[in-house]
Amino acid sequence: MVRQTLRQSGTLVFGYMLSLLVVLAAWQYASSRAIVPMLLPSPFNTLKVGVGLWESGQLLSDIEASVLRIAAGFAAGCAVGLPAGLLMGSFQPVRQAFEPFLHFLRFLPALAWIPAAMMWLGTGEDAKIALLAYATIFVVTLNTMAGVAAIPRNQIRAARSFGATRWQIFLLVAVPATLSYMVAGMRLAMGNCFQTVVAAELVASDSGLGFLIFSSRRFMQTEIAYVGIAVLGTIGILTDLLFQLATKRLLRQYVLQPNH
Amino acid sequence: MPQRFVSEQVLSRPAVVMPRPISPRWCALAAGSASIAAFVLLWQLASMREATILFPGPLATIHAAVVLLREGVLSQDVLISLMRIGVGFIAGVAVGVPLGLAMGAFRPIRIFFEPYIQFFRFVPAIAWLIPAILWFGIGELSKIFLIFYTTIFLVLLNTMIGVSSVRRNQMRAAQCFGANAWQRYVWVVLPATMPYVLTGMRLAMGNSFAAVVGAELIASERGIGFLIVDSWMWLAADRMFAGMLTLGLLGVLADYLFQALSRLCARRYLMRG
Amino acid sequence: MSTGGVAAAMSWRNADFQFAPGTPLILKNFSLEIRPGEFFLLLGPSGCGKTTVMNIQAGFEQVVRGEVLADARAVRGPGRDRAVVFQDSDSLYSWLTALENVEFPLRVAGIAKRERREQAHKALRMVGLETHEHKYPSELSGGMKQRTQLARALVLDSPILLMDEPFAALDAQTRTILQDDLVRISMRTKRTILFITHDIAEAITLADRIGVMTAGPESAIKEIFEVTLPRPRRRGSPAFGELYDRIQAILADEVQRALRREDSL
Repeated sequence: MVRQTLRQSGTLVFGYMLSLLVVLAAWQYASSRAIVPMLLPSPFNTLKVGVGLWESGQLLSDIEASVLRIAAGFAAGCAVGLPAGLLMGSFQPVRQAFEPFLHFLRFLPALAWIPAAMMWLGTGEDAKIALLAYATIFVVTLNTMAGVAAIPRNQIRAARSFGATRWQIFLLVAVPATLSYMVAGMRLAMGNCFQTVVAAELVASDSGLGFLIFSSRRFMQTEIAYVGIAVLGTIGILTDLLFQLATKRLLRQYVLQPNH
Repeated sequence: MPQRFVSEQVLSRPAVVMPRPISPRWCALAAGSASIAAFVLLWQLASMREATILFPGPLATIHAAVVLLREGVLSQDVLISLMRIGVGFIAGVAVGVPLGLAMGAFRPIRIFFEPYIQFFRFVPAIAWLIPAILWFGIGELSKIFLIFYTTIFLVLLNTMIGVSSVRRNQMRAAQCFGANAWQRYVWVVLPATMPYVLTGMRLAMGNSFAAVVGAELIASERGIGFLIVDSWMWLAADRMFAGMLTLGLLGVLADYLFQALSRLCARRYLMRG
Repeated sequence: MSTGGVAAAMSWRNADFQFAPGTPLILKNFSLEIRPGEFFLLLGPSGCGKTTVMNIQAGFEQVVRGEVLADARAVRGPGRDRAVVFQDSDSLYSWLTALENVEFPLRVAGIAKRERREQAHKALRMVGLETHEHKYPSELSGGMKQRTQLARALVLDSPILLMDEPFAALDAQTRTILQDDLVRISMRTKRTILFITHDIAEAITLADRIGVMTAGPESAIKEIFEVTLPRPRRRGSPAFGELYDRIQAILADEVQRALRREDSL
């Protein structure tokens, strides 16, 4: 059994490597044929610029700035979104009151709020963190609500027949039963945050990965944009993996036995 | 001797009696309208208290929207943004669905593309703006490209999930009936994937609104996103709010239309059992 | 069949039930008296509303007319006096072990940890699951999950036990074993049991009395059979077979009537 999975993952890794090589080769070829070098820098040059940025410390400070913002916004968003989702899912009046807003704001991305956020919160960290929190809250609330809706009716009924009060049902049944959905929502929200941070850093920023990507325009060095994109994607994947690892460890019994 | 587990005392404690719930539909409508009304009221009051031009109330916003409509500005912006979304969306679906189906069906294809999908999932359309401008200029094409990028992802992801959702016994039954590989693909896999394709399209459309705003924030002459940013730069907060309100309503409307259309044309594919 | 201190009676008097105004009546003029301490089986064809009867007795639904009583008090909602074993084991909490699941009602009642543990152990021992008490529901077989549900339902010492086709989803062998175990447990714990089933053999094996329902809609009790066969009951005995045939005739008659009614619509 172990051997089989090892072989499977072996082919997978091999396949990925092959794919990367092919694409890199195609990229190199295309860039060598580009009329204007700026149009499509070669992978080699991109790497060179990337290393340069890293050695100057610029890259690290940009990564740090973006990650800190994401952490703050994400934490704030979860702190509001998770309880909100639980309450909205469990108590009908709460849900009916807030549902129209959820469905409307779903189509107003964090991006659209950038000018408003800047107008009210200035051009500092607050505006960006607020935007990230906004992006997080939705995903987390929606997923948590879906989790509550997915609780088997008989689990609630059983608790009622044991004489549990409304609050006991909420704390002892609804919360543990929804945990795996909450984690899924948080993971999605984290992905969203990476997307939003770029947009948030568009606006009057002097640090961060989004800022880095856009600075390429000023310096006429497209390689910088590619470096920024590559780093963004890599950190995103790493964070996602870390997230999966952390939640598997901490919530073993909840994640391992999903509520069917 | 009867077995006992708990004392008489515990049993005699009264159980919770759940009150009979009122009819849900009524309640939902009432509660929803009540909270919207309350919100609008609070908004109006807050704006009157602040009394700066930076915080317009609902009345000011509606007024600005009406003015924009009369000037023809609003309808022009809406149409341009919708055009960008429409073209990018159709292009994204046209490429994304077949690719997703191919990835679901053939493992090598899936292994080839998978690292990029997992990677670029975290890179928003807007990060590609600079390269897009370099390749396509500052005209429509670069913005349409961003929409294309947004759409193709979501459609691809969902289509792939859809292909893997075909139940093993459904395939086996088809084999029992003597269906060959092609027939199995067209008559079993494709229909089974449809609900997921539709979901992917719906999600992509929602995200396209976000992407178009992003694109128009930077380099644009017209469009809803442009309207919002331009208003902000002139500190015309009421026009900005009007733009945001329009954006939200457009999104809701588009989503509703999409769902209605799917129910009309593809009802059987929405059934899950 | 003694009336122990813990058992309670159940009464239905001219009850009507429908899910929403304007929809067809599921139950009409439903009357039934279940004696304290007896093992009562409610038997009926599919769709006759027997699960609804249980849901109403449990307090999950309310009748629109008539009375439903438990221990001479009107039923107005779920409560500790009526324990439930559901058909589907999805009522077990997937994040708790078997032991913790059985402890749960005691936890809700505010019982201290040590006593909880002890009582839960006893209940699991009674259903024969003590070696699996640290497993999660996803690690248990169907039969073991239903045993866990039973232990959980027993742990509060409720005077009434309601069981909704609990063995329907299990294979025939497991079903037989669990039926025998249930009979043994019921003889030791002396509470009133209302058990729903569509399986005649199961009914005869378990019951003191069997109530056969008419086919839906507007169902009521058609006929009640006293089962006087000595326990433990042998499923192959001639008396068993004869009672089986009698009940089967009534049941088949009901199914036919329902089909004819459908045709004439």
